[in-house]
Amino acid sequence: MGAVQSIARGQGIAQRAKTALAKTPRRRRRLPLIAWVFLVPVALLLLALVAYPLLNVVWESVHYVNLTNPTATGFSGFDNFETVFEDDNLLPALWNTVLWTVFSVGGEYVLGLASALALVGPIRGGAIFRACIIIPWLIPIVVAGLDWSWILAPDYGVLNLWLVHIGLLAHPVDWLGQLNTALPTVTLANVWRTFPFYTISFLAALQAVPPELHEAAALDGAPAWKRFWHISLPHLRPVTLTLVTLHVIWTAVNFDFIWVMTEGGPLNASTTLPILIYRYALQNFDVGAACALAGMMMSAMATMFFLYRYGFMGLVRARVRRLNAGDA
Amino acid sequence: MAMVGAQDRFTLTARYGVLIAFSAFCLFPFLWMLDTAFKPIDEVLSTTPSFLIRHPTLVNFATVLLHSPFLIYLRNSIIVSGFSTLVTMVSSTFCAYVLSRWPRQSPVRVVAGALLASQMIPGVLLLVPLYMTMRDLGLLSTYLSLIIVYCTFMVPLAVFMLRSFFDALPVELEEAAELDGCSRPAFLIRILLPLSVPGLLATGLFGFVTAWNEFMFGYVLINDDAHRTLTPGIMLFRGAHSTDWGSLMAASVLTILPVAVSFLYLQRFLSGGLSVGAVKG
Repeated sequence: MGAVQSIARGQGIAQRAKTALAKTPRRRRRLPLIAWVFLVPVALLLLALVAYPLLNVVWESVHYVNLTNPTATGFSGFDNFETVFEDDNLLPALWNTVLWTVFSVGGEYVLGLASALALVGPIRGGAIFRACIIIPWLIPIVVAGLDWSWILAPDYGVLNLWLVHIGLLAHPVDWLGQLNTALPTVTLANVWRTFPFYTISFLAALQAVPPELHEAAALDGAPAWKRFWHISLPHLRPVTLTLVTLHVIWTAVNFDFIWVMTEGGPLNASTTLPILIYRYALQNFDVGAACALAGMMMSAMATMFFLYRYGFMGLVRARVRRLNAGDA
Repeated sequence: MAMVGAQDRFTLTARYGVLIAFSAFCLFPFLWMLDTAFKPIDEVLSTTPSFLIRHPTLVNFATVLLHSPFLIYLRNSIIVSGFSTLVTMVSSTFCAYVLSRWPRQSPVRVVAGALLASQMIPGVLLLVPLYMTMRDLGLLSTYLSLIIVYCTFMVPLAVFMLRSFFDALPVELEEAAELDGCSRPAFLIRILLPLSVPGLLATGLFGFVTAWNEFMFGYVLINDDAHRTLTPGIMLFRGAHSTDWGSLMAASVLTILPVAVSFLYLQRFLSGGLSVGAVKG
């Protein structure tokens, strides 16, 4: 009896052990409770501070919300969008945003690539040059903006005084106060501050290129520009695409630089869409219109991001794969 | 061979030329700021400016520190950046550990995707709703409003940075601890965190600097001098003392100081970790 029982129990244990063993991998696949607990704070934070405000933008873009006139409430249909589209400042602001973004990112790309190419490979004092080039990126935007405002000041700014002194200018120019120079000048300051980030990224990518490729090409008599065109540039393509996409988004929505240097002026000459959003909400107190514009900008950004993520990036990956297969 | 040597020398000269030009372009505005900060007023407002300072002075720094609200702004920036870094680090460490340990689980991937997406969403688009929320909660012009809002951009940054540091630690470490009967929270506190101190420090500093440099939310959410932080504060200096560039540059130098000190430590991560993490996309 006892023996039978113990055998039965033993079999039971074995059976349970077997099911436990069988279950183990399945249980491993499930996320342990503690991991859920660890995820909760960040998940809540994202819901409260990103998801909720985003939905709020959409909601308020189709409702009357005015800070000075709290009686105006309720569903507004497309009235807020109409307010935005009827604003005479919209098209100039859109055009300014395009100019500001294209010239900023273009300038950053060119300077970043040129400096990275000069830095890559052994050179005496390379670390010092790299340190010098990175300095602008460490300076807070506000300080950079004020610093450039001082250098460019029309009365005692060093740039004007020196340019007049060496005869390039007949008289000092109010770079930030003139309609046709304000936006290009802020763009220059922005390029100055941002291009070092491209330098570091391009440098890292260039250093990852196997040196044998360049050596073999050089042995075969390929001149430097050909090696650059056929070896360096293809290897830079993934980094370039990521950098440019991110910076197009970041630059288009940048508020700080323009606000610190010109506040969108003179006479809206440097007003971009983010400045317009700020004006709608905090100077005209028309939150609905601000949200309508913000919502439209957000859709544009999202479209661009998805094009990048699922369109261009896929093409580039395929190309790089072909390239690597060719190398092998 | 002689041809190749000449070509190399030409390339090298060209590289030095380009690098010297770039260094001058990058350094000049920075050095000019330093230079102006130490100049007396008559040399700041000179029509023949030069780097040479005939009578170096600390009077600009004295003006900023003694006769302006600079020290109040400084205190506010320290409070806001410090607490938002603390909140960020505590919540991000746990999240980053999960992201590093179970990267293939679908709930984890959802959170990682949401973090990546929120990193892409520009602050200016969240500005209006966050302003309205803070207004409804009665939090305008409080430290709390900035501390909460700064988490929106600091947390994704911190999670991805910390994850790359945690990824570098071998998973066998955790398996060995588990065999010895160490629970997960105990493993985290007694093994993972002590081993990641350099990474934690780098992430914390980077977060602190990001909060320190932030301008827009500080400018919009804070409307009284007692709670204003440094970056909006020094911008308003310009309006108040429109001609005193010496003091403005002195205030700028003082604002950069903690950033510069932080980057002395952070620079070792700059070429590797930071840029790789940023470029991964």
